[in-house]
Amino acid sequence: MAAVKAIVEAFGLAKHFAASRSLRQALRGERHVVRAVDGIDLRLERGESVGLVGESGSGKTTVGRLLLKLTAPSSGRLAFEGEDLGGMDKARTLRFRQQAQLVFQNPYDALNPRFSVRRALTEPLTNTRVARAEHETRIGEALRLVQLHDAQRYLDSLPHQLSGGQLQRVVLARALVLKPSFLVADEPVSMLDVSVRAGILNLLRDLKERLGLTAFYISHDLTLVRYVCERTLVMYLGKLVEDGPTDAVVNQPAHPYTQALIKAVPRPRVDQSRQQLPISGAIGDAANPLSGCRLRDRCPYAFARCTEEEPQLLEVAPGHRAACHLHQQPNA
Amino acid sequence: MAELLAVDDLAVTYRLGDTLVHAVDGVDLVLPEGAMLGLVGESGCGKTTLARALMGVLPGNATITRGRVLLAGTDLVSLSAGEHRARLWRDLSFVPQTAMNALDPVYRLRDQMREVLCRRGGLSRAAADRRSAELFTTVGLDPRRLMDYPHQFSGGMRQRAAIAMALALRPKLVIADEPVTALDVIVQRQVLDTFRGLGLELGLSAIIVTHDISVVAYLCSMIAVMYAGRIVEFGPIERVMGEPAHPYTMGLMNASPDLARAGAELTPIEGSPPSLVHPPMGCRFAERCPFAERACVQAMPATIEVAPGHSAACIRSGEAGELRRRAREVATWRQ
Repeated sequence: MAAVKAIVEAFGLAKHFAASRSLRQALRGERHVVRAVDGIDLRLERGESVGLVGESGSGKTTVGRLLLKLTAPSSGRLAFEGEDLGGMDKARTLRFRQQAQLVFQNPYDALNPRFSVRRALTEPLTNTRVARAEHETRIGEALRLVQLHDAQRYLDSLPHQLSGGQLQRVVLARALVLKPSFLVADEPVSMLDVSVRAGILNLLRDLKERLGLTAFYISHDLTLVRYVCERTLVMYLGKLVEDGPTDAVVNQPAHPYTQALIKAVPRPRVDQSRQQLPISGAIGDAANPLSGCRLRDRCPYAFARCTEEEPQLLEVAPGHRAACHLHQQPNA
Repeated sequence: MAELLAVDDLAVTYRLGDTLVHAVDGVDLVLPEGAMLGLVGESGCGKTTLARALMGVLPGNATITRGRVLLAGTDLVSLSAGEHRARLWRDLSFVPQTAMNALDPVYRLRDQMREVLCRRGGLSRAAADRRSAELFTTVGLDPRRLMDYPHQFSGGMRQRAAIAMALALRPKLVIADEPVTALDVIVQRQVLDTFRGLGLELGLSAIIVTHDISVVAYLCSMIAVMYAGRIVEFGPIERVMGEPAHPYTMGLMNASPDLARAGAELTPIEGSPPSLVHPPMGCRFAERCPFAERACVQAMPATIEVAPGHSAACIRSGEAGELRRRAREVATWRQ
């Protein structure tokens, strides 16, 4: 285990946006700060599949954008293969753009409706200056990887001629054609029907094993993460609240928020628990996070310390961390 | 239980230029009073079209080409558009997928509730405000929030406000189209529990249209599974999900992820639904069905009652037990 090297590492990563609450505020030039990502530490080992779950507004998509250098952090440091992302020069950035790829959420939007599959897959190769002679082999390989056999049938198709599942495979092939070592997938199956989604989930699992990719899945859907990720991170209002092996997070969730997320997922069977959720209300305001623990107004277990002190992400079991005072001795 | 709604051989066709799309093609459905029916199916199966046809709010290029919709004895199809519309809110009402579409952003919730209660229901303003407060409490909203505008509400609150509005005139039937799809799981659960409470306490009759079989399992007492414009299986939820008799339902259950089942393999259903411009003359699922025989593609399968109140449109439903066993094997679904 000594040689495992982190592919992505973040320290105190934060992204704040300035926003106006109303037209009146905007006209007066009043701004307030939305703390979309508010100081998180992260470490992704090579070859690992990690899922990030949270509700809308938790900041999970912003984390993905930060990891791909699509937006610059407000503070904190982010390293890719040990190299600072902010300090990369142009040539290194271009190489990073090949190594790290994004899989889009909505396959119907991700592809230009006027571009054939061939053109959609050639474009990233041209953009990153891959020799023209290599294009055909690379495209063929990528299509085989996503199990679109009989590539000739698809190459000249336009997006509207393909089914949703085929489209999502093309979107995936477009990310893989550059032979990335790191993949970020933001809600990769949320637009697909269940009968098709199952196939894509199996494919993602299979790709991870075959290519040894490091993959970061962002989703509101715990079931997706359950199927493809060995480690799961849970985010609430810009903070990580839990991090652990997926089995442990699902079966022994340590944080009350994670417990609620898991209980809230309906199951495809009649005999399921319909107990009331341990937390109430809706996600708080990222512009005005509460002091101490940000969940405390929704949490049934909140006590004085939760107002006074922000809980840190600390180990509750080997490799399993949670940011909740229930699990932490004061002054420990 | 008395029959509240009976849909009989309903067909809806869209005209797109010169082509006709048979989106709903011979649907039969029975809803007893006080039942919550989950209408489940994948994109393009016609579930939203069916819901809109029941509501009488089909788009201009859609026509009901045959069939009847009996709501408490009245055939809604025979009504003029105006007569049908006059029944909205009073006899049947609608909860859309995104409540923002039902709520007007420039009016306070109170005024929108008044619109329904006074104009449609003939209540005085004072009575309407009292009833609104009552309705808000029923769906778990603070009545003081009636003075708010929709944008001041979170997504889950808007959805509840839309439910409150749908309940305003005590309609016989509420139809909700993907009412929780746009919501995060915790809020989704809260809205599902609101619906569940209404069913348990008020005996609400509702049709919940959704792509998510888990939502139906959580909430509904009955289920109708729709595929390519037709209902392929229908019955009490325990029966249909416990002992599915149609291979499509079996496939749907196999493909649906279950958070509590560790490591279970998900089995996709290969292929895609047939074109509804020229639907096949036999069973519409036959092309994707691992159990299809020659007879399946030759004629449309009749709907067979496999148990009291539980029916399936599959010629092999007599062997459903054996098919269920084989359907659980991943290899069965590989083509």
